[in-house]
Amino acid sequence: MELETEYAIQTSSLSKEFSGFKAVDNLNLSVKKGEIYGLLGPNGAGKTTLIKMLCSVITPSAGKAHILGKSIPDGNISSQIGYMPQETGVYLGLTVEQNLKFYGRIFGIENDEIMKREDKLLKFVDLVNWKHEMAENLSGGMKHRLSLACTLLHQPQLLFLDEPTVGVDPELRVSFWDYFQDILKQDTTILITTHYMDEARHCDRIGFMQHGHLIAEDSPRVLMEKSGKDSLEDAFLEFSNRDKSPAEKSQGGVSQ
Amino acid sequence: MKLYRIMAVSRRVFQDVVNDKRTLAMLFIAPIFAMTVFGLAFSGDVEDVNVIIVNQDQGFAPPMGNTTYLSKTIISHLDTKVVNIKYMDNPTTARQEVVDGKAYALILFPENFTENAVLKSRNSSYPDSAEIMIQGDDSITNIKNAILKTVSDAVSETMTDEGISPSLKIISDPVYGEDAEFIDFFVPGILAFVVFLLTTLLTLITFVGERSNGTLERVLASPVTEGEIVAGYALTFGLLGMIQVAFLLLVAIVFFNIMIVGNVLLAFLTVALLALVSLSLGILLSSMAKRPEQAIQFIPFVVLPTFLLSGIFWPIQAIPQWLRPLSYLVPPTYAVDACRAVMLKGWGLDRIWPDILILLIFAVLFLAMATWSLKRGKK
Repeated sequence: MELETEYAIQTSSLSKEFSGFKAVDNLNLSVKKGEIYGLLGPNGAGKTTLIKMLCSVITPSAGKAHILGKSIPDGNISSQIGYMPQETGVYLGLTVEQNLKFYGRIFGIENDEIMKREDKLLKFVDLVNWKHEMAENLSGGMKHRLSLACTLLHQPQLLFLDEPTVGVDPELRVSFWDYFQDILKQDTTILITTHYMDEARHCDRIGFMQHGHLIAEDSPRVLMEKSGKDSLEDAFLEFSNRDKSPAEKSQGGVSQ
Repeated sequence: MKLYRIMAVSRRVFQDVVNDKRTLAMLFIAPIFAMTVFGLAFSGDVEDVNVIIVNQDQGFAPPMGNTTYLSKTIISHLDTKVVNIKYMDNPTTARQEVVDGKAYALILFPENFTENAVLKSRNSSYPDSAEIMIQGDDSITNIKNAILKTVSDAVSETMTDEGISPSLKIISDPVYGEDAEFIDFFVPGILAFVVFLLTTLLTLITFVGERSNGTLERVLASPVTEGEIVAGYALTFGLLGMIQVAFLLLVAIVFFNIMIVGNVLLAFLTVALLALVSLSLGILLSSMAKRPEQAIQFIPFVVLPTFLLSGIFWPIQAIPQWLRPLSYLVPPTYAVDACRAVMLKGWGLDRIWPDILILLIFAVLFLAMATWSLKRGKK
């Protein structure tokens, strides 16, 4: 069912269980169109599982999700989203150019158009000179840059970026974020996960995730104010501590 | 299903294979290497077997006639391609040579060999028969059989020559496979074997790679459906399978001069169908492995049943009866059978259709299961 909505992502009680383990637990999330939303949390918090469900790569165990107003899974929605997986998600046996062409073709983009977009994207990710190189010969950071280019090629309205800046050098990370701000102006929405707290500051809103659910969400500034801390890292630890059960606290349990 | 997406996947798989010279070599050089090695070493014909003959035959002299020695005639008819003959006088020392492994058999003609043979042929109630005693190393069945066959052939030729009755004669008038050698029997088998093996393993390893490096997830997040992925793979590997077979047939014809009585295109069709079955099996198996290293562990399960049960090296009839039902569960069995019928007997589609139908069923079933396994991965 399609809803005319201001939200790009809306989930209600979304859950995913793997053999009795709740990776995502009754999660309610709303991301407005044109917003950049950062998911922060330790490994195993459920960030990647959430993204995979929203991209229809895995099926939720319970709950509902609407993407760009459509209830998923919906075959028509997949052409409007771009997914950059945590693993590089590029074909190591293909050249940089062949990777981009493949990811263009599956979206039905004509060759001429692919070539135009490809040139622009390769300049942006600084891989022009590596166009004919096999992806397996690229460094880790370069593979991530190629992966991002592959994600952007079909100009999706909604981007799911799972740790896009891992292994990318600081200078390029800054240009990534500049680019993200750029594409936001074209009414694109971004849901991003990251480990770098300094990067999270670029997000309009942040959701702190732990044990499969959101423990807090707001703009970075408000989150720091609410927690009484002056860094996002400390703010996360504060909210994480508040989320623990009294039993956990008495055991002095430290979250991952 | 959209054709452009299937073509995009197919083209991508093709580029992946072509870009990787090692995989390309595995696809084309490995089967030719395998066929050459098997073809040269495993011709199936036993030759140069050392045997010792101890001939104590005193011959038989009819009244008013010359002494004849049937043993000598038999010896002269022994196929010297099969046996290397060494003559000795003492049976005990000759036997010791066999014990010591210097020869595979002692062939002993006793003193009254010719006499018994002649008298028995004249009067069937004559009490003693002519006997040739073979004391051999029977531990290697192929060699034992080769010695027995060459001796019995020589005996039967001698009986015909000398007009000794009862001379039983078997006249061979082959319906199929006249002048066929082991290699002719073997090549259709190896065709099916290498295509099955390489396609299954290549798809298995490629697909596990797709799962572990995130490309499968990225593609599944795009408009490409599970069915389109499988169809794209099917198109490329079907084509590669056919090119492989063309290559192999060329080598078989040029270097091994193999017999092809029937329509080569039909053999192509059969093996291409087998390639489809194989790639679906590869995708299915890939869902059970997380990393390429784990996928390697499946190799024995793919190789051994095919190698032993599908009739590549020996006919299904040589497999114990209780095990035979398993042969019919191994898809290459049908491809081997059909290829052999086409190439050696010249059968057409009108005769081999049951094999093709079963391969088609396997292909449809496995393709559906492969698609299902991809969908199940989402759960």
